[in-house]
This record gives sequence, C-alpha cells and structure tokens, in this order.
Amino acid sequence: MNLSVKRINAIFQKDLKDISKNIFVLSTVLIPFLFAFLYGRQGDVPLEVQFLIINIAFTAVGAFVQSAVIAEEKEKNTLRGLMMSPATSSEILTGKSLLSAVLTVVTMIVCLSITNYVVTDPIMLLSMIIALIFFISLGTLVGLMTKSLMEASVVSVPIIFVFGMGRMFQELFQGNKLVMIFDYLPNVQLEMLASQITEGASFAESLPYLGTILAWTLISIIVTVIVYNKSTLDA
Amino acid sequence: MEEIIKVDSLTKFFANEEALDGLDLSIHSREIFGFLGPSGAGKTTTIKLLTGQLLPTSGSATVFGVPVKEVNSPQHLKKIGVMSDNSGLYERLSIYENLKLYCELYQVTTDRIREVLEMVNLIGEEKKMISKLSKGMRQRVVLARTFLHKPNLLFLDEPTAALDPVNSEQIHRGLRELNQNGTTIFLTTHDMREAETLCDRIAFLNNGEVQLMGPPKELQRQYSNGNIRLELKNGHEVEVQNNKEGAQKVHEWMSSGELVRIQSHEPTLGEIFVDITGRKLI
Repeated sequence: MNLSVKRINAIFQKDLKDISKNIFVLSTVLIPFLFAFLYGRQGDVPLEVQFLIINIAFTAVGAFVQSAVIAEEKEKNTLRGLMMSPATSSEILTGKSLLSAVLTVVTMIVCLSITNYVVTDPIMLLSMIIALIFFISLGTLVGLMTKSLMEASVVSVPIIFVFGMGRMFQELFQGNKLVMIFDYLPNVQLEMLASQITEGASFAESLPYLGTILAWTLISIIVTVIVYNKSTLDA
Repeated sequence: MEEIIKVDSLTKFFANEEALDGLDLSIHSREIFGFLGPSGAGKTTTIKLLTGQLLPTSGSATVFGVPVKEVNSPQHLKKIGVMSDNSGLYERLSIYENLKLYCELYQVTTDRIREVLEMVNLIGEEKKMISKLSKGMRQRVVLARTFLHKPNLLFLDEPTAALDPVNSEQIHRGLRELNQNGTTIFLTTHDMREAETLCDRIAFLNNGEVQLMGPPKELQRQYSNGNIRLELKNGHEVEVQNNKEGAQKVHEWMSSGELVRIQSHEPTLGEIFVDITGRKLI
C-alpha cells in the first residue's frame, strides 16, 4: 500500500484552514476544557473524573469533529471531488483523520495538565492511542452514514452520552442488566485499565482491557472502510 | 484512431425505472463528443457510469480499455477529469486554496493555477472566498479544477450551463486548446450552438436511447430539405426549392434587382431533435 505523505498533508492543511473558520465545530472543542476547569479548581481530581474528561475529549473532539468534517464534505459534495482525484482511500481517510487526531491530543494534553493527571504507564499510553483511533473511526462512520453536518451533530449526541459519560449512567442505573453491557465499552475499559494500573496490575492483567479496546478499534475500522468503499458509488 | 471509450449495450435501472436502454457508443482519441438530450434522458447517468460512480445493470463499457468498474482507481483517475452537476467546492476557502489542494492531489505545480484561471477568465479573482462567488464563477472554478492536471479524457456535464455568452466563449477556447493538446472531451449540453461549434460528433439521447449520432454539419445536411431562403427588397423572406423552378425564380428576382440576400436553409440541431423524437430539448 503506497501512501503519499504529500497528499495526506494537503488534505490535513486544507482541513486546518477550513476548520479555523468553522465556529460551530470549533465550539465543541471547548466542552472538555470546561469540564477540566470546573473539576481542576477542586484540588485532587479522582480517577473517574479524569476519565470523564478524557472520554469527553475523545467523543466531543475526536468523534464529533471527525463526523462533522466528513459529513460536511458529503453535504457540500466535496468528498466526491476527493474520491475522483488520484488520492487513494487510505490517503483520504488518513488525511481526513489527522485534524481530529491532532485536536484531540492537544485538547487532552491541556485538559490533563489542568487536572494534574500524567500518563506514564506505556500500556495505558498505548491503550489511549488505540482508543483515539477507535473514536476517530467512529466519527468517520457517523460522517459517512449521515447526509449533513446537522444530521451528524444530532447522531453524535447519544454517542457523546454513551461513550463519553457511560460510567455515569452505570452508576445511575446500578443493577440494570442492560447497563452492564457498558462495562465492555472502550471508554469504560480504558478507565478500568487505569484503575488496575494504579493498583499495580501486571502486564498480563492489563491485556484483557487492551484487547477489548483493540477489538472495538479493529471492528470499527473494518466497518468504516466497507462503508467508505460503498460511498464511492452513487446510490 | 485509438478508441478511448467503448460502450456496448449498456443498461441502467434505478429501482424499476430504466435510465439507459442498451447504449452503444465509441469515442476516439482527441474527439470532442457531445451528448444532447432533454433533462432525464440519461446524460448524467452515462457520465456517472463511465467514471465508475455508478455500476451498470447490464452491458459493458471500457475507458482507456479498462472496464468502468475499475476506472475509479487512482492510476486511471490521474488521466481523467470530471466536472459533474454535483462537483463541490470548499466554501470557506479561496479560489486559490481550493485549486492548490487539487494541485497537490494531482501532484502538479501551483504554476498551473494561473494557466487554468486564465482559461476560465478568473485571473485576479484568486483570493476571493468561494462563499462570495456567483453560480457562474463557481462553475468556472470547478472547470479550472478539472483542467488542472491536463487530463487525457474530460467528462463535462453541462460545462457552460450557468455562464454568460462571453464566459462560455472563453471556456470553449480553453476546451479547444486542451483538445488540440490531446485531450478527448465527452460533454453533455442543452446548448445547440455549443454542440454545433465545439463538437466533432454528437449523439441525441432520448429516454435512455441514442436516437441519432454523427458530426453536427452532416446531420444538418442529412435533415435539410434542400430549400434556399431568400430575402427580398420589400422585406419578405421566401423559400425556394433547390431545383430548376427555384433557379428560375432566383434568376427573376436577381434580374429585377429585388434580391437582397440568399442563404441555404439547414435545420438547427434542436429542430432535428424535435423532428426525430417529437420532444423539445429542454
């Protein structure tokens, strides 16, 4: 598979210029900052809250911004132009994902520095990188399956609730079997992994959590690629 | 001449509705081919099928000898330029920024931007935001983007539909220049003058079927009734047949100094279309 860095960078640079003038999408980036400021002022921030902020950054920035940029390309018929250019599917998808990835990483670094959380464990860091890929892939999927920026925004709301604040729902509906499924969500697995690592879990003990996040990521990438390839054809 | 597009019995159904019915076509290298027909005749469907944006229901088609299913692969898309009714631009970016992206995607230098802007009469406008442009200007930017990589084959869906006569003429000059440099052009149009002056061959499409195909002048001759139109001093216009009787009448008017103008009377492409289909080209 040949990837042209020049083409990927061209799409990234274009998105960067475009989003700097898109107030609607940029405003969602403020949500995790808001949470970080609110909780950061209260002194010691518990691990659950740290992960609430991390997961909101993943969903509101990673997934939402990604779904918005893809949905807008579809709405304005510019995605068709990219598809009809010599850029490969991998170049287009990578180029289109870079902006949300960079924005999420920057948002997370700033937010976690406000709440004083430092990720030092390599397994934890790897899991967060894999989770980032999952959320961007999820955003791409939402963008591809919706017809407009507005529709993508509406669909993103439950995603932000489930994947961003799933842990809060678990606590609200304790004992409900349906909510137990939430345990296997990548965001909850990420928090569980962090908790295990804090308690001194070994590499082997961390693997099931990492494996679950990886499985979510691989499935979402496969589904996204299938949907993208289908969208190269008109209905 | 090398065959660039070959279409055999191509059929396309949308649900139960037939959009194309056994289309046969052969387009050669360096040809400007015009596809004429009323709205819904199947012109855009044909372009989408030939550029791999749609899959045919039956029949086959090749572009550069490659089945259309494989045409939308990067190595073939390098040689093709497509301007369709749904070609979009980035509204929050300038004309230059939109074109620069495509220069990088096609890996051509940004020097080419000036050349294509000249072709579409947009020199000096490059800093303007797309959101501030009129429909006609946007169309010219899309055309400029389509010309950027000097494609071997251009598909243009009504390229001058929203343009005034001056800009249409400028686009025609640009298309002729590309064609002289080796680009084969497949265009759809409603504009009979565009078809007459620009195309080497045209095809009339109606209800998904090609009704008539050939060079415009030849078709006009073929459908001409052979009459000659005369304008007389008293302001009347008369038609005489191209035979002995007609020649006698012309001689009489010439001798008496009544004749002002004499011209052959050939049907327009629009009239030919109405003649063979009973429909107007709108």
